[in-house]
Amino acid sequence: MKVLVKDKINTALNRLAENSQVYVPVHREGGSRFAPWPTVPGDELALDSLNTMFSPKEVVLPQTEKMYTFAARGQSVEIKETGEERKERVVFGVRACDSKAIAALDEVFLTRGYEDGFYKARREPLIIIGKACTQPGPNCFCSAMGVDPLEPDPVDVIIYDLGDAYGWEPRSERGQKLTQSLGDILADRDFQKPSAGEFQLQVDINGLPEKLAGMFEHPLWEELAEPCMNCGICTYLCPSCYCFDIQVKNRGTEGYRFRCWDSCMYPEYTMMAGGHNPRGSKHERFRNRFLHKLEFFQERYGTSLCTGCGRCIVACPQGINIVSIIKRLQEVELDVR
Amino acid sequence: MSGNCNCENPLVPSIVKVVDIVDETPDVKTFYVTTDNGIPFPVMPGQLAMVSLLPAGEGMFSVSWQAEDHLEFAIRRVGVLTDALHDINIGQEIGVRGPYGNGFPVAACEGKNMLFIAGGIGLAPLRSFIKYCFQHRDKYSNIQILYGARSQADLCFKRELFEEWPEQKDTEVYTTIDRAEEGWDGKVAFVPTYLEEINPSPDNTIAVVCGPPIMIKMVLQSLEKMGFNDEQVITTLEMRMKCGIGKCGRCNIGSEYICLDGPVFNLAQLRQLPPEW
Repeated sequence: MKVLVKDKINTALNRLAENSQVYVPVHREGGSRFAPWPTVPGDELALDSLNTMFSPKEVVLPQTEKMYTFAARGQSVEIKETGEERKERVVFGVRACDSKAIAALDEVFLTRGYEDGFYKARREPLIIIGKACTQPGPNCFCSAMGVDPLEPDPVDVIIYDLGDAYGWEPRSERGQKLTQSLGDILADRDFQKPSAGEFQLQVDINGLPEKLAGMFEHPLWEELAEPCMNCGICTYLCPSCYCFDIQVKNRGTEGYRFRCWDSCMYPEYTMMAGGHNPRGSKHERFRNRFLHKLEFFQERYGTSLCTGCGRCIVACPQGINIVSIIKRLQEVELDVR
Repeated sequence: MSGNCNCENPLVPSIVKVVDIVDETPDVKTFYVTTDNGIPFPVMPGQLAMVSLLPAGEGMFSVSWQAEDHLEFAIRRVGVLTDALHDINIGQEIGVRGPYGNGFPVAACEGKNMLFIAGGIGLAPLRSFIKYCFQHRDKYSNIQILYGARSQADLCFKRELFEEWPEQKDTEVYTTIDRAEEGWDGKVAFVPTYLEEINPSPDNTIAVVCGPPIMIKMVLQSLEKMGFNDEQVITTLEMRMKCGIGKCGRCNIGSEYICLDGPVFNLAQLRQLPPEW
């Protein structure tokens, strides 16, 4: 068995960065996120804290991403694709909730008829080093959403916090290769896998998608949506929210098209030219977000789109708590039809 | 990566040239587009394509006719992109990508009487199917077309509507406008009212409906009253779209995406979805 002694983390990351773009969790400007290694001055590795404020989804789905340039001259137009250069990428320290979210993104961007070329160029060469979670935070509820915090998946290597070192366990062929490339930076040592701690937050989602299918027009949605300000922070911090807009940046008739994160919380998201908006009211947008997470995604892809990371609970300025919402929805008694 | 690539990446458009522009109404123009090598991609009736004129924007439109050597888009001027499109001239290059969506069930409708019901620009997507039926005339039985617009001036595809289509075998065309006006001696009625007057038989008939949401809802009620069952009624929906390939999120109704699973649904399928269209 291999371990990475904590004193050697920088050495290991430097070695990986020789051939790959490496991303690590860092504390930055009062928050935390996944950022390229080596980090910029002021950043501090955030391996020991729980979830980063921003999820690692930006490694595969950046907040903004150039798609193609265009140049119009007279009546002619030229278009050039400007996608990311394909190169090996390693993301270090991904927790099970965020790993499960990447699995959901894979379903969206790589299946159902079309492969998204921009996503694929970032995702395919990506090696994920997952970190087993042993101490659930006060807002963590991944186990309730069917995620095993000790078993990030998909993953190429799993690391276990042993105190002075990380237990290192390759889980894929690419993980094996990566392990070999670290050579003597890793030490030989037997270790016992730690066990998971107690979750403070529990919720029962058994039968929830089926139940929600009959609750679209339930009056409870208006009540639940009442405090929501449609600020969208839940959607930006969510590791599995993937909705995007495509916009243009131009100077005169030249410029580029880029995509950027969008949010179903905003009226413009569904507003059509001419003014018709199928989700024109707050509670319709709120309902769509929760049903997408808890019912629609399940129906389409066979898995929940909430992985229980708890970021939206922490960030919501109005204290909206998805666990409480699930509980309220589960409490509703429906007439048996 | 070469310029003007016929891109493997489905989000990147390829370039076509506008070879003709037809003024249909004061706010609708039909754009004929093609490339030096013919149509940019094959399209079936009822399918969609993303049309872009940069930097103004990109939007999803139904293809209103898939000719052998060009595609036609009938586009109403309602926003930033369509304003810009209405200002271009013949010869302009624009972007297109597609085809998207399921299209009309042209094969399943063979042997049926076809009843097309449209309001305003809603005739644009239906036209692709109407013209397809005429192109394959023997495969379809009687054809009835009911079309209404706000005024005479707002009727799209006038030459086809008044000259070409009524001349086709076993075909009846009913045209109506919302309010009486000088120079119009035809029908004055809303589409659902006129439909109930015509009272078409549901026997072996498929009704295809498109128009403003309120018209669609009223027409669906009328058809139900006349004895059409949910499998006999087809409509085509629209939503705001950005990607066209079921990824960007916004065009969902429940767990279905209009761009990918639609835009064409029969009423039985629609009833399975949340009433959010």
